[in-house]
Amino acid sequence: MSLSVRPILSALMRNRTGAVLVATQVAIALAVLVNALYIVTQRLEKMSRPLGIDVDNVFVVQASGFTQRYDLPASVRRDIDYLRGLPGVIAASPSNGIPLSGGGSATTLTAHPGERSMDGFNYYEVDEQGLDALGVQLVAGRNFRHAEIEPSRSKDDSSSFVANVILSRATAQRLFGRDDPLGKPVYDDLGHSATVVGIVDPVVGAWVDDRHPDWVVFMSRMPSGRYAAVRYLVRTRPGARDAAMRQAEAHLSASDPDRVITFVRPLSYFRDLSYLGDRSMGIYLLTVTILMMAVTCLGIFALATFNVTTRTRQIGTRRAVGARRADIVQYFMVENALITSAGVVLGCALALATGYWLSLQYQLPRLNLYFLVGGVLVLWAVGQLAALQPARRAATVPPSVATRNV
Amino acid sequence: MLKMQDVSKVYRTDLIETYALRNFSLEVSAGEFVAVTGPSGSGKTTFLNVAGLLESFESGSYSIDGTDVRGLSDDQRSRLRNERIGFIFQSFNLIPDLNIHDNVDVPLRYRRLSARERNERIGSALDLVGLSSRTRHMPSQLSGGQQQRVAIARAIAGDPAFLLADEPTGNLDSLMARQVMELLEQINELGTTILLVTHDPELARRAQRNVHLVDGQISDFRAYEARPLAGTDAGATLV
Amino acid sequence: MQAAMLGYYSHLALRSFRRNPGLTALMVLAIALGIAVCIMTLTVYHAMSGNPIWWKNERLYVVTMDNWDPNNGFTRGNAETHMPPPLMTYRDATAVLHSGIPERTAIMFESGGVVSGVGPVPVRVETRFTTGDFFPMFDVPFLYGAGWSRSADDPPQPVVVLSRAMNDTLFAGANSVGRTLRWNDHEFRVVGVLNDWFPRPRFYDVTEGAFSPPEDVYLPFAWGRALDLRSAGNVDCWKAEPLDSSEQFFASECVWVHTWVELPDRASRERLQVFLDNYWSEQRKGGRFARPRDNRLSNVGQWLRDQQVVDNDNRVLVGLAFAFLAVCLINTVGLLLAKFLSAAAITGVRRALGASRRQVFMQHLVEVALIAGTGAVLGLGLGALGLNAVRHMYATAHLGRPGGYQELMHFDRTGVLWAIALAVLATLAAGLYPAWRVGRLPPAVYLKSQ
Repeated sequence: MSLSVRPILSALMRNRTGAVLVATQVAIALAVLVNALYIVTQRLEKMSRPLGIDVDNVFVVQASGFTQRYDLPASVRRDIDYLRGLPGVIAASPSNGIPLSGGGSATTLTAHPGERSMDGFNYYEVDEQGLDALGVQLVAGRNFRHAEIEPSRSKDDSSSFVANVILSRATAQRLFGRDDPLGKPVYDDLGHSATVVGIVDPVVGAWVDDRHPDWVVFMSRMPSGRYAAVRYLVRTRPGARDAAMRQAEAHLSASDPDRVITFVRPLSYFRDLSYLGDRSMGIYLLTVTILMMAVTCLGIFALATFNVTTRTRQIGTRRAVGARRADIVQYFMVENALITSAGVVLGCALALATGYWLSLQYQLPRLNLYFLVGGVLVLWAVGQLAALQPARRAATVPPSVATRNV
Repeated sequence: MLKMQDVSKVYRTDLIETYALRNFSLEVSAGEFVAVTGPSGSGKTTFLNVAGLLESFESGSYSIDGTDVRGLSDDQRSRLRNERIGFIFQSFNLIPDLNIHDNVDVPLRYRRLSARERNERIGSALDLVGLSSRTRHMPSQLSGGQQQRVAIARAIAGDPAFLLADEPTGNLDSLMARQVMELLEQINELGTTILLVTHDPELARRAQRNVHLVDGQISDFRAYEARPLAGTDAGATLV
Repeated sequence: MQAAMLGYYSHLALRSFRRNPGLTALMVLAIALGIAVCIMTLTVYHAMSGNPIWWKNERLYVVTMDNWDPNNGFTRGNAETHMPPPLMTYRDATAVLHSGIPERTAIMFESGGVVSGVGPVPVRVETRFTTGDFFPMFDVPFLYGAGWSRSADDPPQPVVVLSRAMNDTLFAGANSVGRTLRWNDHEFRVVGVLNDWFPRPRFYDVTEGAFSPPEDVYLPFAWGRALDLRSAGNVDCWKAEPLDSSEQFFASECVWVHTWVELPDRASRERLQVFLDNYWSEQRKGGRFARPRDNRLSNVGQWLRDQQVVDNDNRVLVGLAFAFLAVCLINTVGLLLAKFLSAAAITGVRRALGASRRQVFMQHLVEVALIAGTGAVLGLGLGALGLNAVRHMYATAHLGRPGGYQELMHFDRTGVLWAIALAVLATLAAGLYPAWRVGRLPPAVYLKSQ
């Protein structure tokens, strides 16, 4: 059984339209498949980045003082003591911001005084239970000590920085490179220094879409409530979170007339919100890609079926002059393979062009060629599979068809 | 060379049983030109399909060059058709999307032949039918008579044991019909066995021997001594 | 084409569908899916790229000046934006306010706050501090009362405007004009209550999420200074300068003030640009504005584009939707071609019996139109269902307040009309070629045996 590709190709060329249409569908489907999978993989990578924070067991309370009488340090002290006393609570700390919330404060830091830098580091003013309240792991150095926690500033005081800071490993690498940062000073933009006492890793700050979401700094200071709101980060044992939240909300809402509890929310709420865009994009991309493959596949199947039914006489004649069933199947599979291959070749060009455009828009690295190869294989296989049943149906056309007269 | 003995072909539906062929026997020797005739509905097409291995039969035996066709698998029958039988159809059955060369090529592709050998065979077949100047043309560019000659070229290119022709001139005008019949006679003179199925008595007269079918059975034999068998000294074969 | 012929062709088309139910279903489904996906994506895209104050697009402008670090451009998320910062310093914003050139000026910032003294419990509120021109500038509708005039801006009067929702919460929806409340324990008098107002996107402040709901209360801008408040929105500083005292902060290079102006004509726009450039030169002499001059007046449309309200993801999805529709349509063209041409024998007989090319074309066009119609209707339904499903995916209404992406998933009337038009056009585009091909082939071809 010789693989007679050339005559099949000649016949195909004479009746191009159907083939061109199928090849175009295959091309577009390939371009979409390859790039969609690429984007989805990128988002999955982003969403599966280790946060370092025990998200499912942490909840956040936001409190706003509003009267003239409001005494922030005292109020915070009372609230934190209460929260630490709740059953199931491992740690609670005040904070100026909420990781993963999309909002927070950032400051510039350098390792060398006088050095100009525009790098912004997301900072959290916490007490000695701050790291525990988030569940982040120290990998070097030590935690803040209770005595080191500075009181909150009622207004900005630029005469000094905070005494001690704990850096994320990414921050430390940015500032110090390979050098050991422990015990070394970091400087704010006015030249005041703080000492690095610990390194945590991994950790993620407020903005997951930032170029460097893990540039995070912890400061040993009570939050200032400068923006008229202070946050409490509370971590519980697994399973105890919801009960603790309910109790906290009930008690704190009524315990202090000079401040209002804006919300009591689990940290997972903020995480889900942060990743909502990526998740939705991924679902959307996958759904449309699958639909597109299905439409293309069904289209190939339907068109192949039609090609078979309109060529019964030819099939009969071939069988009459000696083609076996397998030869007929092969004929249609080869014909389909030619069309699919043309579509794949065109689709590769389309996929690469699209990938290039996407990499410009998103400022991401260019399309990984593995995706292209994988896409080609998948689409080729799908294209051939779609034509298999029609081809086998073609083989059942009896040779006696050739002697029937119209 | 071709031997059918008591072959019967039955078409069964829920209600009716039709014998398209009933105890049909036929022997054809190499080099003969036999016509099978009969009115429409007589079973000519069934005979054609059975003789050409296009359909199976219920009882009797059939052998080609000593090979018994019963018990052959579908693939084996296909091979036998490919190597032993050359078909010529009433409606030519050329493949419209292929040119003349590729059309003649079709059965050759189903054998293990080198490209050179195939091209040689195609070349000489088209030479014989007088169409070697038209190899690149499409069937739609040829007249009916020319198309049928291409079909004949296709049939003989594989050097078959016999040609099986089904009303080969049915779709042709009288001039083209005569040309085609002359070509068939020419091929027969060169030694190829031909089995012609037709309802036209004029055509049948050109054959050496006639077999007349009525209701699936042979009714009588009429022999015409128009031309003696090539290579034999005796005259007509009267059965 | 007369009604009788239309009816006849429809009858033929239906018979044809019955002969090939699977194929017809496939074509209808493919078109429906393509249209549904397009509708969903385009509805969202349209909502996102909408300009909710389009009638004032040539009158309203955002003022920005590049006062940033001489060594680095303004960054957002540690990436350079190559534009001036979207907000202005207090000094520069008030300079624009006092220039007297724009017909109206709104300088503003957002903050938190707590309202007490009304109702049983204090209520946390989102507060916008703005000059009084905000309300007429943005055509904000009022239910009761009105905003405050310029005279109430400086020195700031203790007046407050409530959103309708906040008025419902505090005063049970009654006309609260004249009533007093305490904001962060300071007394304010209600002068106006807004009607329902939810511009999408919230064009006048996209920095906190472009689809956030508007604020709960509005106070005169100057109270920020008077009460020594800080913006809870974006506050960006580049300069190494002490920010201890109120004076230092309000005199600093930190940007935190939105500056909007209304300029009725080209002349006033040019005058304001000249003012900005002169002000820039003068300040530069005093050591400020070390970067190349970039003082911009951006209209609403430009502003929304610059702030990337429609992000890359949306654009990619729109492209994807069209690619999908293309595949569905190409699919349909192929199937129609095959279907029409395979019934060639029947058509050939019709032509032999006297049908003209045009009649054959019309007959098949009717068939295509029926498929188009069914596909379009189905696609609309699927699209609406899909939007509903996606809304649930995006629901951020745990807060009990609206806002967020889910607000975009509405099928408004113009949207429906566009969708229908899209569906019909698309399918006709798909079916035109096959119908034309069928009409063109001469009758003889069909009658010849294959």
